[in-house]
Amino acid sequence: MADFHGHLSLRAAARPDDGLTSLAAQSFRAPYHLSKPYWDADTRTLVVQVVNPTAGILSGDRLESAVTVEAGAAVLLTTPSASRVFRMRSGEDEARSLQHFSVAGGGWLEVLPEPLVPHRGSRFHQRTVLEVAPGGAAFYADLLLPGRVAHGEVWGWDRLVLELEVRSGTDLLLRERLDQSADHLHALATLAGSGETASFGNAVFLAPGLAADPVPPWRSALHDLQTDGVWIGASQLRTGAGWSIKFVAPDGPRLRRTLAEIRRILTPHAPHLACDARKL
Amino acid sequence: MIDSENSSARWLVGLLQAGDSFYPTGGYAHSFGLEGLIELGVVHDRATLRSFFLLSVLPTLRQAELPLAAHAYNALDPAAPDWARVAELCALAHALKSPRELRAATENIGRQRAELATRLHPHPLGADYTAHAAAGAWPFSAAVSAALEGRILGAPGDAVLAGITYSTLSSSLAAAMKLLRLGQNAGQTLLTEMLAHAPRLIATANTVPLAEIGWSNPWLDIASARHETANARMFIS
Repeated sequence: MADFHGHLSLRAAARPDDGLTSLAAQSFRAPYHLSKPYWDADTRTLVVQVVNPTAGILSGDRLESAVTVEAGAAVLLTTPSASRVFRMRSGEDEARSLQHFSVAGGGWLEVLPEPLVPHRGSRFHQRTVLEVAPGGAAFYADLLLPGRVAHGEVWGWDRLVLELEVRSGTDLLLRERLDQSADHLHALATLAGSGETASFGNAVFLAPGLAADPVPPWRSALHDLQTDGVWIGASQLRTGAGWSIKFVAPDGPRLRRTLAEIRRILTPHAPHLACDARKL
Repeated sequence: MIDSENSSARWLVGLLQAGDSFYPTGGYAHSFGLEGLIELGVVHDRATLRSFFLLSVLPTLRQAELPLAAHAYNALDPAAPDWARVAELCALAHALKSPRELRAATENIGRQRAELATRLHPHPLGADYTAHAAAGAWPFSAAVSAALEGRILGAPGDAVLAGITYSTLSSSLAAAMKLLRLGQNAGQTLLTEMLAHAPRLIATANTVPLAEIGWSNPWLDIASARHETANARMFIS
C-alpha cells in the first residue's frame, strides 16, 4: 500500500474592502481535502472543514499542515469525522503528523477537530505547534478516545505520542508530551476511577488581556463542570498569556458535552467561540 | 576512612546535605499535586499511593525531571558552560508544567537551591549562573539548580540524578505521611521499593533527547489546577 505524504497549507486574511475573512492562499494534497469554506456572519468567522477522504491514517503516512491567520481574520478549523489511526503490521512505519498553526496580532483561530481514535496495534506520532503573536487569540482543543468503543476495542494502541507546543511571541508557554503505552494510560484511568472508556480533552486558550487576571471568574464556572464522572481543571500558563484546560470524561459523549460547555462559558471572553462548527 | 583530600567524600557530603529535609529549599511545603489527588479520592491508602508512585512519580522523573537535570549538567560544564542551552532548559522546565502551582514549586525550590549553593560553596560557576539568570530573567528550576549545585560540588552526573531521585521520592512520601494514615515503617518500605528503580531511571533519563523531554498525567494536572482554588489545604502545591 502506498504511503501518503499529505500536505495542507492555508493562509487566511481579512479582505481589504469589507474586512471579511477569506483564504488568501491554499494548497493541499491527499489525504487532505478542503470543503468549501462557510462564512458565519453572526460570529464573523470563516468555518474551514478539512476532510480526509480516505478511511483514516495508515502505516507510513506523513501528514503536514501549516495554517496561518493574519491580522483581522477569524477562522474555525474543524474536521467532519473522527481521525482513525489503523492497525499497523509489525515492522511497518508509524504514522506521523506535524501541525503548525500561526496567528498574527488581531487574528483569531479556533482548532476544533473531531476526536482521535487509535485502533488496536496502531502507532501514531502527532506534533502540534501553536504560535500566537501578541494581540492574537486562539482556542485549540484535542480530543482522544481510548479506541473503537462501539466495537469493544479499547486501550489497544502500540504507540501513541501527542506533543503540543504553545508559544506567545517568542515565549515558550507550554510543551506537553503524552507518550504512554495503552496499558499505562489505562492503569492511570483505573487508578483515577475514570472507567474503561475514559476519554481525554486537552485545550489551550490564548487571548489579549488574559495575563491581567490570574483568577478569572470563568475558571470557577469551568471547575463546576466536574460532575457525573467528568474531571476538569484550568490553570494559567507561564507568562499568563494563556490557559490550559484539561478534562477527562467517562466516555466520548460526555467528553463532547464538556467541550461544548467550555466553549459556551468562554464565549463572552472570545465571541468567535459562538460559531457552530456543525453548520457546514 | 575519609581523607580530607578525598574529593568523592566532599561532593558526597555536599549532596547528602542538599538532599536532607534540613536543607532549607522549602520542599517540605509542597506535595507536587499529591494533595489534590488525595482530595479527589484517587490516592487514599498505601496501595493507591504505591500505584501513584509507580504510574506517575517514577515516569515523571524518568522522562522529565532527570533528563532536564542531565542536560543541564552537561550544559553547565565549568570549563565551557553553554549558557544559551541553560536558558532554554530553564524555560522548558516551566513550560513542561501546565499547572501554575507546579511551576511555582520548581521556581521557589530552584531559586532557594541556586542561591544556597552559590552562598555556601563559592565557585565562579555559581556567580556566573546567578549573573546570567538575572540578566536573562530566567525562571528557576529545581532540576537545573540541582545540576548547578552538583557541578559546583564536583559531583558526577549520575550522583546528581540519584540525589534528585531521592529528594523527589522522599519529599513526596513525607507529604503523603502527613495526608494519609501511613506509618513510618510502611513509608520506609515504600521508599525502599521506589529507590530500587533509581539505577534504571537514571540510565534511561541519560538517553532522553532534549526534544523528547516531557511526560504528562492528565489527572495529576487537573488535580493540581483545582488545588489552586481549594478552600482548605496543607501544602502550597
